[in-house]
Amino acid sequence: MISQLPIINLVALLLMAIMVPFIKKISFRATLWLGGILLIGVLVSSVFIFIHVANVGDIIYHFGDYESFLGIEFKVDPFASLFTLFVGTLAFIIYVYSSGDKTEGIESPEFSRYYVLYFLMLFAMFGILYSNDLFNTYVFIEIISLTSCAIISIKRKKEPYPAAFRYVLLNEIGSLSFLFGIAMLYMISGHLNIDLLANTIQSGWTTLPINIIFAIVFMTVGLSLKAAIFPFHIWLPDAHASAPSTSSAILSAVVVKIYILVLIKLILKVFGVELFASLGMDTVLLIFGGAGMIMGSIFAMTQKDLKRMLGYSSVSQIGYIVVGLALMSDLGLRSAFFHIISHGLTKAALFLSVGIVIYLKKSRSVKGFEGLGFQIPIAMTVFGIAAFSMIGIPLTSGFIAKWNLGIAVESASQYIFLGVIVISSLLNAMYYLPILFAAFLKDNPEHQEKVSIEKIPAAMLLPIVVLGLSILLIGIYPNLLMQLIDLVIARL
Amino acid sequence: MNILERIVENINYLGGAALFLIGLHTVVTHTNLIKKIIGINIMGTGVFLFFIAIGNIEGGTPPIWLEGMENPIFVNPVPSALILTGIVVSVSVTVYLLSLVIRIFQTYGTIDQKELAEIMEQEVPHD
Repeated sequence: MISQLPIINLVALLLMAIMVPFIKKISFRATLWLGGILLIGVLVSSVFIFIHVANVGDIIYHFGDYESFLGIEFKVDPFASLFTLFVGTLAFIIYVYSSGDKTEGIESPEFSRYYVLYFLMLFAMFGILYSNDLFNTYVFIEIISLTSCAIISIKRKKEPYPAAFRYVLLNEIGSLSFLFGIAMLYMISGHLNIDLLANTIQSGWTTLPINIIFAIVFMTVGLSLKAAIFPFHIWLPDAHASAPSTSSAILSAVVVKIYILVLIKLILKVFGVELFASLGMDTVLLIFGGAGMIMGSIFAMTQKDLKRMLGYSSVSQIGYIVVGLALMSDLGLRSAFFHIISHGLTKAALFLSVGIVIYLKKSRSVKGFEGLGFQIPIAMTVFGIAAFSMIGIPLTSGFIAKWNLGIAVESASQYIFLGVIVISSLLNAMYYLPILFAAFLKDNPEHQEKVSIEKIPAAMLLPIVVLGLSILLIGIYPNLLMQLIDLVIARL
Repeated sequence: MNILERIVENINYLGGAALFLIGLHTVVTHTNLIKKIIGINIMGTGVFLFFIAIGNIEGGTPPIWLEGMENPIFVNPVPSALILTGIVVSVSVTVYLLSLVIRIFQTYGTIDQKELAEIMEQEVPHD
C-alpha cells in the first residue's frame, strides 16, 4: 500500500486542479476547504513516505509495470521524500495565507484559476522530485514553467505582462537547453532512466566525451537560467516583484529551489562528482555563486520597490546554495540542503509579511515603514525574524546555514569565500536593517491609530507566525533538521 | 577530406544544432516580441530534429511488424514518441506567449521591446 502513496499524492493534486472550476460553481468556500484538507492529506502521506523510506528502503514504482529501460520509473529515496515534505509544508502554509488574503490584484473570477495553477504547479514539483526519468523530468519542468508564469500574469494589471513574457522566454531557452542535454545523453546511452544512464556514463566518457561535455554544459546552463543563478538572474526580480504576494512566496521559496535540486540530482546521480569536477564545472559554479552572493545584495540595496529588493535578495541567497553545492563535498552539500530549507522558510515569511504590509498600505515602496511595527506588530515581528535570518544573526536558521557553509568552505580551503560570506551578510544587513529601524524605532505621526491587528484576517496571520516560529525552532535546534539531511546525504 | 566526410556523416546532428543556434540568435538579437517567439520555435525544432536524428538507423524500416519480415532493422521509435510530447509542450508555450503578446499590445500599444522599455520607464517615476 505504501508504495502506492507517491502516485496517490500526484493523482490527488492533479484531480484537485481539474476539479476546482467545477466545485467552485457550488461554493468557493467549499473549494478552499477541500483544497486545504487535500494538502493536509498529501502532507501526512509525505510524512508516512519519508518514515517508510528512511526505515525500510527506497520505493520504486514502475508505471504500467514496464521494465525500467522501457517505461517511466518513480524512485522515492530520502532525498525525494524529504524535499517533497519541504515543498508540501511550505505549499500548505502559503495556501492557508492565500485563502485569507483576497490576494491583491486578482479579481474574483481569477481566484479559482489561481488555485488550478497552484495545484498543477505542486503536482509538477512533486513529480520532478519523485521521477527517476530525465524526459519525464523535462515534461514536469515545462509544466512548472507554464504554471508559474501564468501565476505571475494572473493579475489584471499591466505591469506583470512584460515581466511574465521575459520569464517564459528565458525559461523556455532553459528548458530547451536541458532537452538538448538529454538528447546528448540519450545519444550515448540510449537510456533516459537516471540509474541506467549513470551506469553507462563512464563508458560513454571514453567513447564520446564530447557528448558528455555538451550535455553537462547545456544542462547546467539551462537549469541555471531557470534557477536564476547569478549571471542568468535578470528575469527573477521583475517576475517575482510583479506577482501577487502569495505567488511570489511560492515562486521564490520553492519553485526556484526545485531546479537546483534537479541540478544536484544530475550532478550526483548521473554525471558523478568526479566527472563534473574534472571538467572544471565546479569552479564555474563557485564563481557564479560567489558573484551572485555579492552582486545580488548590491542590486538589492539600490531597489526602491520592496518586492524587487526581496527578489534580488533571493538571487544572493541562491548564490549561497550554489557555493555549497559547488564545493562538491558532503559538508558543502549539507549546507546547501540546509540553506534550501532555511531560505525557503525565510523567504516565504518575508514575502508573506510584506504581503500584509501591501494589504494594509497598498504600496510596495521600501519607504513609509515608520511606525508600522506598532500598527501590525505580528507581521513586522515575523519580518524582523526573517530579516535577521537573512542577515545571519544567531538563533535563526539563516545563521546555522551560513555557519555550515563557512565550515564547508573552510574545510575545502577556499578561504576567499569566508570573506565573501561575511561581506554578503553585511550587505544584507545594510538593506534589511533600515526597514526594521523605521518600523520599530521611528514613530509616524500620521498614523494615530496604533493597533489595527483585527483588520487583518487570521488566516493571513497564522501562517506567518508558524513560519517565524519554525525559523527560530530550526535556528535553536538545527540538529532536528540536520539528522534528516545527514540521512539524505548518506543514502544519495 | 576527412572533415568533409565527417560533416556529411553527421549532417542531421549538425543541422539540428545549427537550427538551435539560429533560434537562439533570433531570440537574443531581435526586439520584436513575435520574432522572439518564432526564434523559440526554431530552437525547439532544432532540438526535436536532433532527437529524431538519434533514433534514425540507416536502411531501417518503420517499427511495424509485417508478415514475412526476416530480421528487419527497425528505426528506434522512442525518440519520435518523446518528441511528440515535446511538440505538444512547444505548442502550448507558443500559445501562452502569443496570448501574452496580445495582452501586452492591448495595454501598451506596441510589441517592440525597446519601445516597451521606454514606455515602462516613463510610467515608473524614479524618486
